[in-house]
Amino acid sequence: MRLFLSGVRKLSRRPATFVTFGLLVGLLVLIVIAVGATANSTVGNSNGAQRGVAARDLLTFPGAYNRVLEFILGLGGLFAMIYGAAIAGSEWSWGTLKSAVARGESRVRYMLLTFASIGLMIAIGIVIAFVVAVVADIIGANLAGISTSGLGDTATLGGLPERLLKGWVAVMEEAALGFTIATLARSQLAGIGAGIAFYFGESFASIFLPDIVKYMPFSVANAALSSGSASVGSGGSVIATLPPDEALLLVFVWLIASLFVVALFSDRAEITG
Amino acid sequence: MSGTDGLALATRGLRKSYGSRRALDGLDLSVPAGVVYGFLGPNGAGKTTTMRVLTGLVHADGGSVEVLGQPFKRGDRRRLFEVGALVESPTFYPYLSARANLRELAASGAPVSAKRIEELLDLVGLCDRAGDKVQDFSMGMKQRLGIAAALLSDPKLLLLDEPANGLDPAGIVAMRDTLRTLASQGKTVFVSSHLLAEIQVMADVVGIIAAGKLVREGPLKELLSMQGVVKVRVRPNLVDAAIATLAPLAPVERLTETDREEGWLSVHLATDRAEEVNQKLAGDGIYASGLESGTDLEMLFLELTGGQGTSSGEGEFVGLGSPNGGQNGGAPAGKGTAA
Repeated sequence: MRLFLSGVRKLSRRPATFVTFGLLVGLLVLIVIAVGATANSTVGNSNGAQRGVAARDLLTFPGAYNRVLEFILGLGGLFAMIYGAAIAGSEWSWGTLKSAVARGESRVRYMLLTFASIGLMIAIGIVIAFVVAVVADIIGANLAGISTSGLGDTATLGGLPERLLKGWVAVMEEAALGFTIATLARSQLAGIGAGIAFYFGESFASIFLPDIVKYMPFSVANAALSSGSASVGSGGSVIATLPPDEALLLVFVWLIASLFVVALFSDRAEITG
Repeated sequence: MSGTDGLALATRGLRKSYGSRRALDGLDLSVPAGVVYGFLGPNGAGKTTTMRVLTGLVHADGGSVEVLGQPFKRGDRRRLFEVGALVESPTFYPYLSARANLRELAASGAPVSAKRIEELLDLVGLCDRAGDKVQDFSMGMKQRLGIAAALLSDPKLLLLDEPANGLDPAGIVAMRDTLRTLASQGKTVFVSSHLLAEIQVMADVVGIIAAGKLVREGPLKELLSMQGVVKVRVRPNLVDAAIATLAPLAPVERLTETDREEGWLSVHLATDRAEEVNQKLAGDGIYASGLESGTDLEMLFLELTGGQGTSSGEGEFVGLGSPNGGQNGGAPAGKGTAA
């Protein structure tokens, strides 16, 4: 427990925690407020009607709860992967894992509890980001002149904890992937670089290999929270996705597999330098 | 493991290779309890690899290790709860303060009280800077913090890799005093270093390693008594006569002209035979105008390690003066150690 709490203390003071969280929340607030401020002005443009509908969808409660959450978990997944890579990589490149091991600490326990502390920080981050995003959404809705009467919709609010929990697991899986890559690379930068490449590589590969990519870590994380069997890719193409329950199961598989690799590698690695 | 009673640390036939490069080649160390043990060797001789194996950072290919009387195998990590270590450079979270770094390090391994952290910060002279981030620390300050980190669990066995790195002269003296005090309290201090003068004034027992093997081990005084140097100064025109006179006392290879123009000769003899040298010269009518005796760890080190920088991949620093690194004839006899 003291090792876990130590991990939380370390992360709570780490600049990477604030930078990652700040970027996520900053972007979120900026986008939501910008959408609110411009929602009505897009109606007269070409494609304006369609964009106006999308903007109103983001700002209209209770549906806005889910839109905001999907937005947080989508962007947050990439940030979580970078964050996980930064934390794991620094343990190797700064030599702090070495110091702990030389004190008789278990390598596997140390790395897994470090990841557990990341998990707690991510959970806190998601909740705070969600609250901030909802407040920003209310402001955006007011700017756009959209009613916020759906804020108290009990059916949606009742389902939020479960969606937040599933989202947390999905983001954890993405963080675990970054954590694993950085552990294997023993480097923050290599871990972050490889993680980002993997993220965009998977997205790009989905154009050509949709039936394979739908089982890949980032795709299953997104699918676990989606409500349909297909999603829209960055180029506007429709990408096949797994049903949410099946995707969630695969999220767990990827998460556990990633942590298993971390444990195995940490246990066997020669700690030098 | 046989014959390891009374030892704080023992290795037998320790082997470790990195690919085709053999870092440790059957290393046998016997570190008695309650001493400062100086672990010496040229660059690439296997000192750091030994430290890594002893702290469980790398796994040996063969051989055995015994720590504080108990076998230390893969998975016996709790043995390290009684061991403190500073391996290579000290490592910390740069964004945390010195105090926070010690506190977070203390969360791993054996439990440590908050009071102990403050005591150690005081011991290494970092109380005033304890709240500052480590990223703003000088190398010497980091080194001091590293020594504090190694002492966190009040270890019975302390493993220090080049602890004087980056320390200023006052810091080196304080570190040396601290280590001597720890040894006087019954703790064992194992110091890996290439600073021979530092080891000579600090260590009780010395082990010298070359190419992954132990080439000499024993009490420092005993080793140095076999490595005594008597320097004698005669008139320059009598140097050849003096050499002939002293030849019966020492083999020719242990009798060297240090400075013919000044008339200095070095005779490699036990230091208590200085009087005999003087007597012998006087007997032949050669009167010494100067006589010094002392011991030299550097000489012993160069002799045992062949004066080589390395044989295992780190390259060799040849130097500007002589291609043999100043071995034998060129070596400064009694350098800095004249009794």
